Amino acid sequence: MSSDGKDNPFSNIDKLHHINRCIQCGTCSGSCPLSDQMDHAPRELFALIREGSYEEALHSNTPWFCVSCYACMVRCPKEIPVTDLMYAFKETARDKGSIPANLKMPHMYSSFSRIVKEFGKITESYVMGLYGMRHPLAAAKNMPLALKMLVRHRLELKPQKTAEPDFFARLYALTEKGKEKP
Amino acid sequence: MKICFYPGCSFASSAGYKESTEAVCRKLDIELAEIPDWNCCGATVLFGENKLRALALSARHFVLAAAMGFDEIVTGCNACYATLRKSADILSEDADLFQQTKDLLKIFDLELVAIPRIRHLFEIIDQAMPEITTDKYKDLPVAAYYGCQLTRPHQDLDNGDHPSMVEKFIEKIGFAVTEHSAQTACCGASHAVIHKDECLPLVQRIVREMEGKGAKAITTVCPLCQFNLDQNQSKDAGPYLPVTYFTQLAGLALGLSPKELGMNKLLVTAAKVLTRS
Repeated sequence: MSSDGKDNPFSNIDKLHHINRCIQCGTCSGSCPLSDQMDHAPRELFALIREGSYEEALHSNTPWFCVSCYACMVRCPKEIPVTDLMYAFKETARDKGSIPANLKMPHMYSSFSRIVKEFGKITESYVMGLYGMRHPLAAAKNMPLALKMLVRHRLELKPQKTAEPDFFARLYALTEKGKEKP
Repeated sequence: MKICFYPGCSFASSAGYKESTEAVCRKLDIELAEIPDWNCCGATVLFGENKLRALALSARHFVLAAAMGFDEIVTGCNACYATLRKSADILSEDADLFQQTKDLLKIFDLELVAIPRIRHLFEIIDQAMPEITTDKYKDLPVAAYYGCQLTRPHQDLDNGDHPSMVEKFIEKIGFAVTEHSAQTACCGASHAVIHKDECLPLVQRIVREMEGKGAKAITTVCPLCQFNLDQNQSKDAGPYLPVTYFTQLAGLALGLSPKELGMNKLLVTAAKVLTRS
């Protein structure tokens, strides 16, 4: 039990215990290219979880601004797998239904994943098309770039596909987790 | 030499990566044995969604590669490289997840037995390229851009923050090297597309640093790095450096034409800096 009265929602993360080694030095935050966009720099997020402020940690935008550059991870003096933990925090937020509604990256990720499920391969124009349905203004802004790509024969109008797309729909169904109540 | 090649989803539509890789490999007698019916590796998306699903997307290739008789998979994309390698690491270290992934693939009649070694195309081409001693490009200073996921997190190919292998390659094949500090600075990766305003300073810092140190061209080892650096420069403002693939430089050094190397697909044209008197 924690200070906000709930069980630790992150307890299923196999590498979570590593955050107990954090000495709050801030090397991760200083190495991060997008920490200025984050609600909490990585070390702050670890501190929140350690002190049991689970709700705040679950709804933090921090993992959604992780670009996966691994700069923090290779520099951490306590060898905490920061990037791996960010992936796990995203998966946890998805499972608990606590992804902040105002964020754009989760929409890009779900567009990407839907294309993988459908075709087995990614076609950038299709991912951006799906994303553009939720963000029409962004789609409109991307049109000049799309034209430049078209002129250089780089805009794919047909999707890349695997020979067995059923594999992916089935794989997704087999790995679907039951949505837990937040 | 024959390699088991995983092209990844961005390979064919990128700015000449496919053309230049295929042309250079022909010259160097490297046969690209493509994994039949490969799929998306999941990139930086799937591990944040569902770990087992992400592992299965990678592991499908481990089964296919083994069936081809290979114990190595080679890819030219940093994100594919890091993702396949992450899966290979997890499946080698975590017996429980290995079993779960094995059981999952079994449903599709895929038998996961061996975990291959994951390698980057740069390692292969670097090793195979001969030293080029002609003077044609020796006055063209090129800045190496590694991006994030080649040297990190493993740091076994080279130093994680300040590597030198691409610089050595540039020099070996007859170009001049520009030393600079943005080699492994992040370009924003997939965030650069969605959060353009927030990530533009990241790209500008990289390109300005390279230009300030004297570079006339950039060379990259990853389709997303190439795309971000290429499409975020403007003819009207700031530096304007062509962003080539290392395979395009290799091709030029081997005497191939820019057209054969797909260099007409670059957004910032390379024609000016490649014109030799």
